[in-house]
Amino acid sequence: MLKMQEVSKVYRTDLIETHALRNFSLEVKSGQFVSVSGPSGSGKTTFLNVAGLLETFDTGVYELDGGDVSRLSDDARSRMRNEKIGFIFQSFNLIPDLDIYDNVDVPLRYRRMKAAERHTRITKALELVGLASRMKHMPSQLSGGQQQRVAIARAIAGDPALILADEPTGNLDSLMARQVMDLLEQINEMGTTIVLVTHDPELARRAQRNIHIVDGLVIDSPPPYERRTTTVAFSADATSSRAG
Amino acid sequence: MLAYYFRLAVKSFRRTPGLTALMVCAIALGIGTCVVTLTVYHAMSGNPIWWKNNVLYAVTMDSWDPSPNDAYDPDHPQLAPPQLTYRDAEYLYQSTIPRRKVIMTQLIGMLSGVPGKSVPIQAPTRATTRDFFSMFDVPFQFGGAWDAAADSGPEPVMVLSKRENEKLFGGANSVGQTILWNAHRFRIVGVLADWRPLPRFYDLTTHSPWSNPDDVYVPFQWGPTLKQLPGGNSSCWGSNAVNTYEDFIGSECVWIEMWVELSTPQAREQMQAYMDSYWATQHKAGRFARPLNNHLTNVSGWLKVNGVVTGDSRILLRLAFAFLTVCLINTVGILLAKFLRAAPTSGLRRALGASRREIFVQHLAEVAAISLGGAALGLALGVAGLGAVRTLYTNSDGYSQLAHFDPLGIAWALGLAALSTLAAGLYPAWTVGRLPPSLYLKSR
Amino acid sequence: MNIKPVVSALLRNRVGAVLVALEIAIALAVLVNAAFIVGQRIAAIEEPTGLDYHNMFSITMAGVTSDFDAQRSARDDIAYIRSMHGVTSAAPTGMIPMSGNGSNGTLYTEPGQRGKAAAYSVVETDEQGMNTLGATLIGGRNFRATEILHASRGQIDQPVPEIIVTQSLARALFQEHGALGQVVYDRQNRPMTIIGVVRDFIGQVGFGSPPYQVAFMPRIPGAYGVYVCLVHTAPGKAESIMQLAEQHLAASNPTRVILDAYPLDHYKDLLDSENRNMAIFLVVVTSLILAITCLGIFGLTTFNVSTRTKQIGTMRAVGARKRDVVTHFLLENAIIVASGVLIGCTLALGVGYWLSTEYAQPRLDMSFLAAGVLILVAVGQLAAWQPARRAASVPPSVATRTV
Repeated sequence: MLKMQEVSKVYRTDLIETHALRNFSLEVKSGQFVSVSGPSGSGKTTFLNVAGLLETFDTGVYELDGGDVSRLSDDARSRMRNEKIGFIFQSFNLIPDLDIYDNVDVPLRYRRMKAAERHTRITKALELVGLASRMKHMPSQLSGGQQQRVAIARAIAGDPALILADEPTGNLDSLMARQVMDLLEQINEMGTTIVLVTHDPELARRAQRNIHIVDGLVIDSPPPYERRTTTVAFSADATSSRAG
Repeated sequence: MLAYYFRLAVKSFRRTPGLTALMVCAIALGIGTCVVTLTVYHAMSGNPIWWKNNVLYAVTMDSWDPSPNDAYDPDHPQLAPPQLTYRDAEYLYQSTIPRRKVIMTQLIGMLSGVPGKSVPIQAPTRATTRDFFSMFDVPFQFGGAWDAAADSGPEPVMVLSKRENEKLFGGANSVGQTILWNAHRFRIVGVLADWRPLPRFYDLTTHSPWSNPDDVYVPFQWGPTLKQLPGGNSSCWGSNAVNTYEDFIGSECVWIEMWVELSTPQAREQMQAYMDSYWATQHKAGRFARPLNNHLTNVSGWLKVNGVVTGDSRILLRLAFAFLTVCLINTVGILLAKFLRAAPTSGLRRALGASRREIFVQHLAEVAAISLGGAALGLALGVAGLGAVRTLYTNSDGYSQLAHFDPLGIAWALGLAALSTLAAGLYPAWTVGRLPPSLYLKSR
Repeated sequence: MNIKPVVSALLRNRVGAVLVALEIAIALAVLVNAAFIVGQRIAAIEEPTGLDYHNMFSITMAGVTSDFDAQRSARDDIAYIRSMHGVTSAAPTGMIPMSGNGSNGTLYTEPGQRGKAAAYSVVETDEQGMNTLGATLIGGRNFRATEILHASRGQIDQPVPEIIVTQSLARALFQEHGALGQVVYDRQNRPMTIIGVVRDFIGQVGFGSPPYQVAFMPRIPGAYGVYVCLVHTAPGKAESIMQLAEQHLAASNPTRVILDAYPLDHYKDLLDSENRNMAIFLVVVTSLILAITCLGIFGLTTFNVSTRTKQIGTMRAVGARKRDVVTHFLLENAIIVASGVLIGCTLALGVGYWLSTEYAQPRLDMSFLAAGVLILVAVGQLAAWQPARRAASVPPSVATRTV
């Protein structure tokens, strides 16, 4: 699914040259759930930006879902992101003056889908994350955990080949964090490749495989732990409270 | 997709209602002002006979006083008088070079003998030769112009304006009826249809350029026949006494307007040569003491020379554009600030797959919505403004005509203003589209 | 007071700052020049006419037939008007002041069109003409009734032996020497003695002769079959008496018709209308430009403040007082306003120069530029005052908040 070979990215200013990624190589097979961890400044963010086609890189090859995406134009990269990748950020990045439905709708709009198809997909995604009943609510009316679940719904609504999650539980309390991780596992079981970037070793261990980055280089991790399979039933969230 | 963008635009407006209102109002005011000034300017600078602009020529010869301090127009001492003397007009009129030609002047006319009207009515009269009507494309409602024999007679025939015909005969076909003009019985041979050229290009000496055309037209020779002095402008110089009408038409007093229709450049050259050779012979005989200054001026040139478009209206036009510029700059500044503040959201959309162009178009839709709102409000303000201008000018000699709803002028103003707003918004929209998506996503 | 953070903040939003500066520049250029022009137009309107025109009206008469006896008709009409209650004075004239209806001529101090020459508006009238126009005699005397000439139709431009001139006309011909008793000549070398000099009043404007150069001629008009009844009434009565007079005169003589009847206010208004309308337009548009610039600065500053709350909070957290925050934003604004004013001065001078050459206006008066600068600076800073104060109330805790 995701194959990076000898990818390097250097940030240059007038005075400093920062090698954020050095000959970075990584292969993630389709359907895997991989975590990428490392200390601050290790290059995790750069990896994510490059993997998510948010930034270009200097040398190396990047293949995504069988195609070489190393030297795509800005427009082509946008299209790739739209069709193949689902993002989940640490700050939920929901658009505050759009309701939940419209928020999940955003990537689908750029796919030029018809209204009926969009509606089906949005409903399905929100049902999966258990928030279908809150479709017309505004983000400010939801708790932190709920907002993150909306972000997840947005990420999966387009049936992406790859989900990139950047510290998805960073702003959540432990209960909500567990709910989110369970959801991600559920999505992975349905066949979506997931790459999770985190500095929390607990979270990192929940993945099938952990890749450790230090100073832009990959240090693979020990074999995965067993995964717990839990089906979480999301009721009307009467027990959840707002984050923070 | 556009509907989606407009929905997003509306949400954006609601987020900052004050600033949105300021932008729309500012543009509306700028556009409204432009509508008013452009309409007036367009009306003022119009050429009411533009299709004949290069075949109609005003004839002027400089017969004026050679003394250096006694120029006809002290502000423009090099200009010849706009009218001719009787002697010169008669001579030039005999030329067969022009396709059509006209000499004319203004007379005071008293109409009486109309059934139902006991008191005589004063009607501004144009004493002219018959080509006036065909040269200036004057439309007739009933009948037509008189024939060449009536000019030389002169025969007591007259043409009425539509307005006068309505006043005297209730608008009925009065051709064939007779009426007393200055106590002489005249027969009506024609009634004009609606005709109100703005400006009154063919005669800029009698009233303001925006005054109505005359109500009665009679053959030119009636003035000399009845020894009636012109009721319009006449200017005299020279030391010879002018005590009788005979003195008057033999003097250097100028009081006649002359126009010719020359359809080819050769005809124009020939006419100029004709005038110049006449000048030469007269000059030798002691007249035309000023340097050779004969001109055939086309309509647009004539309007320019006579300063029909006032300096004030030109200043106001430029002021309106300066105002619109200020409003546009204001809008660009506000849009830029708004768009940049919303940059994180745009960055998010980019991460989710929007291309640069889609972000650009999304913001352009917002600009377009403001532009449309401003233009619509601006049109309303402009129309109201024109109404206000009309009240300011009600007293003046026809100026209020200028401030009328002129569809072409208003379309111009609106189109210009709306497009300029859109153009102004291009920069902020483009700036937002250019931002790299990763810049605003908090990844750590 | 540290300028560096202010400057760096401005540089970060360069385009926005430049736009506001441009707005201010244009506003200044417009304000200065518009105010200047308005001042001139008001001066032109307020120029004294020397006439009590609020209490005067004119009725123009024209004969119907070619044998119309204008002299007799004028005499009868004026006699009737003089008998009306409320009329202080009336006279027949060949002109209406300020109307553009009338004639003008040239006088020479020597025969053969030599010596000093001066153009003037002609007032043909009888011995009451001076009184009706309210012209004050400064020297010499008025015409006597016996000196008034009566020309018949067709007798154009009959010579008169005496004339009365305004001060301006006298000065144009004879400078500071006395004009009384002097002989002047018209274009036909006919001599006329100046028997009286009156205080200036307005004749015609834009007519080829200077407005205050006017001369009375003792001759009742009528050569063209047209004459004017000029009337002076008791205060406030002009309109009503005119209507009464019109009613009577319309029916009293079938050989002539009323061409028009207007109070002199009408002509003064027409004369002023172009200047007045220009002034109105300029004032309206200039005020709007100032208002929009002011609101724009207010709106943008408020907006900027709300965008930079984190920065403000951080400033406060590291020790800035409320006053320092206000100063920071006012200083940012001041730099923009100052640059705008600087550009605006050049622009104002440029526009002023262009106006003076292209439209023959006088050169821009520097005091207008100075006043304009002060106004724009005041308006610009005042607009940012309230948002700056609002910035100061941002709490320091904002610095650490992440949501």
